[in-house]
Amino acid sequence: MIDETVGAPVIMAARDLRVSYPVADGKVSVLDGFSIYIREREVVGLIGDAGSGKSTAALALMGVVRPPGQIEAGSVKLGDEELLAADEDRLREIRGKDIGLIVQNPCAALNPMLKVGRQIGNVFRAHSDASKADANERAVEMLRMVGINDPEQRVSAFAHELSGGMAQRALISMALSSEPRLLIADEPTSGLDVTIQAQFLDQMWETVRCTGSAILLISQDLGVIANYCDRVAVLHRGRIVEEKPVYEFFAHPEHPYSRDVLGLQKAATAGRPHGYDLSAERPRIEVKGLRKVFSMRGTNVVVEAIKGADFVIRSRETLGLVGESGSGKTTVGRCLLRLEEPTAGEVYFGGEAITGCPAASLRGLRSKMQIVFQDPFDALNPRWTIRRILREPLDLHSDLSAKAKDVRISELLDLVGLKTDRIDQKPRSLGAAALQRLNIARAIATEPKFIVLDEPTSALAPHAITGIIALLHRLQAEFGLSYLFISHDLTTARSLCHRVAVMYLGEIVEMGDAEQIFENPQHDYSKMLLSAYLYPDPTKRRERAKIERTA
Amino acid sequence: MTQSETVARPIEIKIAKSRHRIDWLFWLGVSIVAMACSLAVFGPAIAPYDPTLAVHPPAVPPPPLAEVPGLWWGRITGVIDTPPYWFGTDANGFDVFSRVISAPRIDLTIALTANALSLILGVFVGLVAGYYRNFLTEGVMRVSDVLQSFPVFVSAMILVALAGRSTGNIVIALALLYTPIYIRLTRSEVLTQRVRGYVEAARAMGNREIVIALRHVLPNSLAPALIQASVTIGFAILLTAGLSFVGAGVRPPTPEWGLMISTGANQIILGEWWPSVFPGIAISITVFGFAVLGNALERRYD
Repeated sequence: MIDETVGAPVIMAARDLRVSYPVADGKVSVLDGFSIYIREREVVGLIGDAGSGKSTAALALMGVVRPPGQIEAGSVKLGDEELLAADEDRLREIRGKDIGLIVQNPCAALNPMLKVGRQIGNVFRAHSDASKADANERAVEMLRMVGINDPEQRVSAFAHELSGGMAQRALISMALSSEPRLLIADEPTSGLDVTIQAQFLDQMWETVRCTGSAILLISQDLGVIANYCDRVAVLHRGRIVEEKPVYEFFAHPEHPYSRDVLGLQKAATAGRPHGYDLSAERPRIEVKGLRKVFSMRGTNVVVEAIKGADFVIRSRETLGLVGESGSGKTTVGRCLLRLEEPTAGEVYFGGEAITGCPAASLRGLRSKMQIVFQDPFDALNPRWTIRRILREPLDLHSDLSAKAKDVRISELLDLVGLKTDRIDQKPRSLGAAALQRLNIARAIATEPKFIVLDEPTSALAPHAITGIIALLHRLQAEFGLSYLFISHDLTTARSLCHRVAVMYLGEIVEMGDAEQIFENPQHDYSKMLLSAYLYPDPTKRRERAKIERTA
Repeated sequence: MTQSETVARPIEIKIAKSRHRIDWLFWLGVSIVAMACSLAVFGPAIAPYDPTLAVHPPAVPPPPLAEVPGLWWGRITGVIDTPPYWFGTDANGFDVFSRVISAPRIDLTIALTANALSLILGVFVGLVAGYYRNFLTEGVMRVSDVLQSFPVFVSAMILVALAGRSTGNIVIALALLYTPIYIRLTRSEVLTQRVRGYVEAARAMGNREIVIALRHVLPNSLAPALIQASVTIGFAILLTAGLSFVGAGVRPPTPEWGLMISTGANQIILGEWWPSVFPGIAISITVFGFAVLGNALERRYD
């Protein structure tokens, strides 16, 4: 399968790696027969489901295993040197110098007690005899290279003073400071906004092309893979099951798993089937002049989270609310349900005013309007069983008998595609995707007419996302639900929404049919947002990346 | 995990071993606590002599260690009629052994009741102060800060001195002093739980605030206070004994460890160590048991 003879020299080659973790009865192999190779100047994408061993592979390539795991067999060669045979001192030298690692969650990966410049300098000093002053100079230089404005000032910033994007760039400059031959990036952009993600990936791509090193890019996001990789390797159950140039992979996936992933992705990006005419439907939610101002505790500082929003959601309609973090999308959703008290403006539900209605009647209305949150585990009481979680809304809003409630609970589980065998267990026994289904089941328990979906898919793997989207489609068709779908993920927004509102700094800058917004955005911000969007198709690479590539 | 952490970690760490140790300590704690509790129930009944009667010859030393098995065997087979003074007798003619095993009844009762009272009060106030944040609950927190800033022992001494030396007063004094600990622990946990998604979801479901506080937030905020309780019980035993030692605790001839140490202390200079040392060992073991149990519980909860 692996052809090491063509093209540029191979920087790293791993063969038949096996990494195992002890479990209660024996051990489980996370990687089993894992082989991969990376050539000079090459960007290799590694994709795979959650739990397929991607992060374990990233670490194992540096000769590291999270305890109590163990590398049991195989070889990792950096050039001609066998890493698994090297001693700890030599490995320490290689890590950071020859192989750089960028991990998820940039803010947590920086030491909060040290200035950023010092941290970058430390990596550099660990591998050379440079003085402190030299290291500092080097740090400034690195920060400038990764495109941070005013690097002389930023070297003395602490991690919390940087935004997510800047922290991520500080990390990449740390990883690049000693010019490693290979950069391993493990989901480097998860949790970043699309515009920052694009900037960052462009930067990383450019840097590596200039210095002649290589990248192993681990991601679940096919958009990232399609736009930046030369070659794709698919990791499934601890081994590489398919490995191809990126164009070929997207055109002719072979392994059933790859086909599955690409097929689902294709279905998701196709947009929702058209031919719906919702103009005749009655408005279900009406929002007029909604404003929300937060005042910081103990200060006079006020933040205008929503500067004024007006929109209508009809019956059976999904309105998408897209924008970057901090744009006020979530606050809109919360104000609609009065989980947050709006500062000004009116919200009507089926003609009935929600704003200003007394607490008692609001509690009654709650059965008609529900919300699904971003973090599926956090939204469920960890001490309650699944049965009790689903019974709560029935206890509050129905007068069914205990027996009828049990019937309804199994019916709900069935509706969202969950089996009833774990009904008396706690939520932690389920995976993220199943938990989100459970959250949806709870939301529809009282047969609501309107559901706020607050980033319901952003904590999930691509595979799970498509399942949830399909479920939401089905429930909408079956019960005539209206959704407000809040998301920074444009792919899912496109697949679910009839209409889309683009939000920027507390204002809705553009609103229109999904098709129109995605194909022909009018507002400058919408255009920028969409230009940063990475299509999961290598033939539709972003313009900027395409130009650089041909250059 | 930071990059440097990843790099610095050794490849193999034997987790299994440390896990085993935790369990071992947990069971040690459980058995000591169980022992103390059963003595609190049955101690006075199984004591060979009445612990409150000073009818024995004074200052009899305990039998030498070598004779203990023989005496014990003699008792079991019925050869020896009168029970020996296992731990000797003190200057007043009390049997030290009977008093040592009878003392848990008073010591544990004080410690457990005081803790139960402060736990219930502290958790309730902590829940209210954490869930409903306004100037009133802020005021409550400042009062608890003031309470906490007094040295516990001195405050207990003054409280008991003012209210009188009775078991009830000691319990109330201790409960008052320990309540701020539970308030603070529960409140801080409530502060993190009240912004969790499930609380928001319960609100979106149409629950009343009081129901959310009691049914969702409270059960999820109990762990720190319950873990602390075990450790605090140990300290309460120590404090009870300490109060008796300085004469602010229970009245003689009630069998109580601190009181025994206090009365025996006068004779230590004459070489009569046994009236003080045996209750001292009993206190150490009991406090150690509760502390170990608390630590083990804490690690289990993590």
